[in-house]
Amino acid sequence: MAKMMYREAVVSTIAEEMERDERVVMLGEDIVGGMGTAGGPEAIGGIWSTSTGLFGKFGKNRVIDTPISESAIIGAAAGLALAGKRPIAELMFADFIGVSLDQIWNQIAKFRYMFGGKTKCPAVIRMAYGAGYNAAAQHSQSVHQILTGFPGLKVVMPSTPADVKGLLRTAIRDDDPVIFLEHKALYGMSGEVPDGDFTIPFGHARLSRAGEDVTIVSSGLLLGFCEKVADKLAAEGIGCDVIDLRTTSPLDEEAIIDSVEVTGRLVVVDEAPPRCGLAGDICAMVAEKAFASLKAPPLAITPPHTPIPFARELESAYLPSTDKIEAAVRKVLGWR
Amino acid sequence: MQLSREALLRAYRQMKVIREFEERLHVEIQTGEIAGFTHLYSGQEAVAVGVCEHLSVDDKIVSTHRGHGHCLAKGCDVNGMMKEIWGSRDGLCKGKGGSMHIADVELGMLGANGIVGAGAPIAVGAALSAKIDGNGKIAIAFSGDGACNQGTTFEAMNMAVVTEAPCIFIFENNHYSEHTGVDYAVGTAKDIASRAEAFGMPVWRADGTDFFAVYETMREVLEYARTGKGPAAVEFDTERFFGHFEGDPQRYRGKGELDRIREERNCLIKFRASVTSAKLLTDADLDAIDKDVLDSIDAAVEAARAADRPTPQDVLADVYISY
Amino acid sequence: MADIRPFCMPKWGIEMTEGTIAEWMVKEGDAFTRGQTLCLIETAKITNEVDAEYDAVVRRMLVGAGGEAEPVGTLLAVFAEPAATDAEIDAFIAAFRPADTQVAAKAGDSAPPPAAAAPAPPPAPAAAPKKIVTNRAISPEALKLAEAEGVDIEDIEGSGPGGRITYQDVHQAMRPAAPPALRGTAPLDAEVARIFASPLARRIAARHGIDLSALTGTGARGRISKGDVLALVPQPSAAPIGFGTPHFVPGENRPQIVPFDKIRKIVARRLTEAKQQIPHFYLRVSAQADALVALRKTANVILGCKASINDYIVKATAVALVRHPDVNVQVHGEEIHRFPHADVAIAVASPKGLVTPIVRQADRMRIDQIAAATRALIDKAAAGRLSYDEMDGGTFSVSNLGMFGIEQFDAIINPPQGAILAVGGINRVPVETDDGGIAFESRIGLTLSVDHRAIDGAAGAQFLATLKSLIEDPEALFA
Repeated sequence: MAKMMYREAVVSTIAEEMERDERVVMLGEDIVGGMGTAGGPEAIGGIWSTSTGLFGKFGKNRVIDTPISESAIIGAAAGLALAGKRPIAELMFADFIGVSLDQIWNQIAKFRYMFGGKTKCPAVIRMAYGAGYNAAAQHSQSVHQILTGFPGLKVVMPSTPADVKGLLRTAIRDDDPVIFLEHKALYGMSGEVPDGDFTIPFGHARLSRAGEDVTIVSSGLLLGFCEKVADKLAAEGIGCDVIDLRTTSPLDEEAIIDSVEVTGRLVVVDEAPPRCGLAGDICAMVAEKAFASLKAPPLAITPPHTPIPFARELESAYLPSTDKIEAAVRKVLGWR
Repeated sequence: MQLSREALLRAYRQMKVIREFEERLHVEIQTGEIAGFTHLYSGQEAVAVGVCEHLSVDDKIVSTHRGHGHCLAKGCDVNGMMKEIWGSRDGLCKGKGGSMHIADVELGMLGANGIVGAGAPIAVGAALSAKIDGNGKIAIAFSGDGACNQGTTFEAMNMAVVTEAPCIFIFENNHYSEHTGVDYAVGTAKDIASRAEAFGMPVWRADGTDFFAVYETMREVLEYARTGKGPAAVEFDTERFFGHFEGDPQRYRGKGELDRIREERNCLIKFRASVTSAKLLTDADLDAIDKDVLDSIDAAVEAARAADRPTPQDVLADVYISY
Repeated sequence: MADIRPFCMPKWGIEMTEGTIAEWMVKEGDAFTRGQTLCLIETAKITNEVDAEYDAVVRRMLVGAGGEAEPVGTLLAVFAEPAATDAEIDAFIAAFRPADTQVAAKAGDSAPPPAAAAPAPPPAPAAAPKKIVTNRAISPEALKLAEAEGVDIEDIEGSGPGGRITYQDVHQAMRPAAPPALRGTAPLDAEVARIFASPLARRIAARHGIDLSALTGTGARGRISKGDVLALVPQPSAAPIGFGTPHFVPGENRPQIVPFDKIRKIVARRLTEAKQQIPHFYLRVSAQADALVALRKTANVILGCKASINDYIVKATAVALVRHPDVNVQVHGEEIHRFPHADVAIAVASPKGLVTPIVRQADRMRIDQIAAATRALIDKAAAGRLSYDEMDGGTFSVSNLGMFGIEQFDAIINPPQGAILAVGGINRVPVETDDGGIAFESRIGLTLSVDHRAIDGAAGAQFLATLKSLIEDPEALFA
């Protein structure tokens, strides 16, 4: 076991995988930093310090800084993958899928299917997402529900450093295209990471707390909020299953249904906006498949359906807080 | 440089196959048997063949929605393509892609593409792969006077220059992007190549209806591109004989324009005139090819009609390798 | 200004919310003195006299006897000195606001016309659901439910768009708060959690002490699933040691699935509703049956009929019902329908299931006529030819399982009837004789199931006492 930060888990895993498989290459904006400047390369190593030192280890042929051209970055990742490489492309902010969406949506996600299953596109697209740094409307969004909605992509959202390592390994070794979402407010999170070449398969949620009264489903930053709520309620004799989805595509339906069949109560906590969202998707799936087990309606706790505001107190009010999560759990417990 | 007899015959055959493939589709589509949108390449054969005759399987090309010509020129199987357009499960893409998404990645054909301009960034990636491997291979992005306006094309050109990717941007200027003329849509009207030049790469220009002009130009371009000096761009002036898509009423054409270009800007006529007058091949040589090609196209259509249809289970197949 | 005082529905105890005036002892215009009984008020629990606390005159009587229950605080009458003018009384009534907020809504209504003090009026008509008038956004179904169940919507926070009240909101408001039965946290072994097993597989493994790390998964993506774990759950050992008998190998035990037919569906629904909605209480008695058994023998010969013990019980029941009309009732919503004659249903097992055909006006029949009627109904039931008319209604039911040796049982009331009699078999029991010795008697067990909404304990007990005496002294049946 080693203690490391979330961001360290990212860069160390990329380094290990690039070492292990020479086909793995990385491209993105400022992943090296300093190209074409007086200060020289390695000025930053990624703005989230998630590619520090890679340029020095693997050189400019495998760690490629790009101009600000998201479509070209993702498109190049597509071409690299079709040509036999295993590219890891980085979008500095998940919000920038806007300027690269065609390459993700109409190209990478669909190559295998359109070409009759005769090719593979083993690209990993990493991006930093989520609110919590007052980065406001265009730099704080969650995009997992948009991307999960595109058939052909796998979508991964680790919430701990250990999960980053296990899931990123799986992503890089997976022959299908993977969107790897890193919550920017978790980059500094510290955690125990097992040693060795362990991987975490996709579609296998993590049970973070166990209890038999309420099922709480979440991911990313909010997963930690749910853990706090569960611990507080445990002191009152209320037991919560806290399920960390880890991947939204594939989704671990079985874990959710199994848990609800025991507890009969579901609260889904998600950072994306409510309409046409993941939280609603999971609640509907549970209502359809575990209706007989439900003792209360499934509740979706999300931010309101607004862009993300800037001021500190506004962003706090925007995100689902531990108070809101706790109130939701109590509401389903108090259902008559 | 002189092409051998075999090379000349081959070049003619390739162009003829493309021409007859497209001409036949034009007829067949009107029966309503073929689903979806089809965009025919007739008139531009010299570009596809003039470029691809230089390429190996390890050189990659990315095409456009008007991709049949590039596919065939790169070596894709005629029967497989015809079946794919017919939607058969024995088609090149098992009926899953259709005309706009025909591909054969193993032959280095990274797909026709339904999104205008999407191919350029993909080609840059493929070129980067070759650069990383240092194997002297290149990638080609075929574009048109339409795609040359897309942001993705500009991003790709700059990215290729900055990363020194051996990517060749080929602009087939057939004067129409959908129903709009190049004089209107492209601010630099008759000069697309200079845009690429402004991004920092060398550019070539040639008559895209003359096979020999295309072939010679590409020899120079590839010499440049294969030596690790970075990307290049070529603008070929050419014509498309049909509409943007099959069913396009083509009201934008001038009076007699279609007849004129089929007469005056027909690469097959020009090729025949060239090789026969230089006594490199005879009319009989070429006529034999004509007949053979027509027979093979006939056979391809028959085979496509009779080929197995896909089943509903095929809808679910091949979204992922593992899930 | 003359002394005008309101006389309101009193509040006896914290639980009382409403009461009914059972009887007025005074009428409008009467003068009364302190200590005099003014009226009888009946609540859910008790009936009590209300005595005057001062001298005055009954100037206005606003609520009559035997009417609807009125909420605590309702103005029932106005007492004043004779000097008070009618105009002053009218003004007083118009200005009156009850202290209890439950009455506030009703106080807004125009003052009800003074009721004439009449003796025991016929039962009040059932109250129609009170209409709710509101500006709040509320769905049509929610409004219907609130009106039907008398739910106050003002306290409801609507969960619909813009605070609209939904059916679910009303439904929730109706239900009592019930703290959940909590089961608390469960053990979570981090090592075990790392193994790729489904949550259910983990729970099963934990319960049986199975080591997951030893398993290979056959579930999705190679995950250990429930089946993988169940395969390792130890089966109970087969033969007991040392008996030397061969193992019992169970064969197939698959059920034949028989869906409810139409009659069973109806019976199931009605009996479920009865069990859920009728507050049953049970009165048990055993009657001495020697006299009945003897009488039956002779009467059957004399009358030339084949009346069964049950037929006699039907007759006795019918007679007792007519003597106790408050048991010979049907219950419809909040109305009691009292019948002058007894339509006694008998429970009959038919090939299609349990049916309850009715012997109409059994009190007016002679025993041989009852015997013929029941015979005919039983035969029709056996042939599946009972008509709807023969089964609809009834004021009482008799169900007899004595022929199966059952001593006593509790039957389920058949709505809309108010009660049902369950009859057991006749047993010989020892009893103490007057001189301290032992003799044997035939006794028959009777259990009366009563709908407590409409029939009180005393009424049921009195009926049962009459029935018992008719059975024990059956000559009275021929009177």
